[in-house]
Amino acid sequence: MSTAAVARPALGRDLRGMLAELLKLEHVVGGLIVAPDGLAIAADLPREVQAEALSALAATLGRELELRGPQRRLGTFPMAQFSSVSGAAFIVSTPIGFIVLLGEPSADGDSIRAALRKMVGNVYRAWTG
Amino acid sequence: MIFARIWHLLGGKRRRPTSTHMFRQAQRLRDEGRLQDANDLVEAALRREPGNVVGHLLAGSLHMALRETGQARTSFERVLALDATQPRALLGLARIALEEGETAACRDLLTKALTRYPDFPEARALLEIARGLTVDASSKRAATPNGALRTERLRLPAECREAMFMQSDASLVFAEPRGPRSEAVAAGAVKLARVATAMLERAGFGPLRHAVIEGAAETTYVRADDTALLTLAFDHDVKAETAVAHLERVWGSCRSEIA
Repeated sequence: MSTAAVARPALGRDLRGMLAELLKLEHVVGGLIVAPDGLAIAADLPREVQAEALSALAATLGRELELRGPQRRLGTFPMAQFSSVSGAAFIVSTPIGFIVLLGEPSADGDSIRAALRKMVGNVYRAWTG
Repeated sequence: MIFARIWHLLGGKRRRPTSTHMFRQAQRLRDEGRLQDANDLVEAALRREPGNVVGHLLAGSLHMALRETGQARTSFERVLALDATQPRALLGLARIALEEGETAACRDLLTKALTRYPDFPEARALLEIARGLTVDASSKRAATPNGALRTERLRLPAECREAMFMQSDASLVFAEPRGPRSEAVAAGAVKLARVATAMLERAGFGPLRHAVIEGAAETTYVRADDTALLTLAFDHDVKAETAVAHLERVWGSCRSEIA
């Protein structure tokens, strides 16, 4: 553990700052970063959404997607989008856990996916580089 | 600077950090996402105090976070050996059981956790899924051979690498190509859809209707309603608009064929 790493988080290590940046995207209404054990590392969700339950489900979904690899011969999942009539959830896998964004139906999926890809790149560089 | 170093050395000799302090520090590292550093610290603390429930619980949680499922199970089992109804350890083992498809065991562990600690939203959310999957398994119909649904009338797109259509209880209606693992894959897809629906509903969005899952080699497009699920997998070079158009057309055909 270096002092520098604690005092000045590198790009991709400041998880709360990273989530705050993603929440600036248009029509994104909330998000969280959750470890695969189901405990949230950072969360900013609409008041009516129960963070603990959503974190547990997001981690379960993330793990299911990771574990589909050998079963479906697809390898790891870089990103997935799940939509209903009134909104969508975007989820990406990183070494520290899953980043989940919640968007309104009008949210621009391409912009959200591009922003998530950029963040995932930062996380990989910061945590595995 | 030099004084600070001397003070640190003297302090280090005088005051060895307690295991409680180490667990707290590990928790902080975990909250920063520094999972491996946290895990190393917990292991060191547990060598000093092997019977510490909090330490084993934290170790289990960190092993899960590091995707070390076997070690996580061992840690949670150690917690339960010390405190037989520790709710977080029961939740941890239930998550592992759900991952491994042991839904009945998952349901029992969560029920036990909720008996001890009823205000446990994580356990309640996962129990809903486990109950749903148990009902599916008990009511599942026999898989139908592909001929039951005239696949030639579905006009599956030539660029589609894999297509599957199943009922919401995971009964496979057709798979193209169909292999010995097709039914297991269908069950996995239904489980995934159930978890996604649960998450979307908790977010206030309602049940799953569409999904796009990017894999390393291909992208899977999913169409679902309350009764059935269709998945089509395409190479990455197939445009999303094209894939979605195929998905909607095949979905319409499947629905009318089984109507």
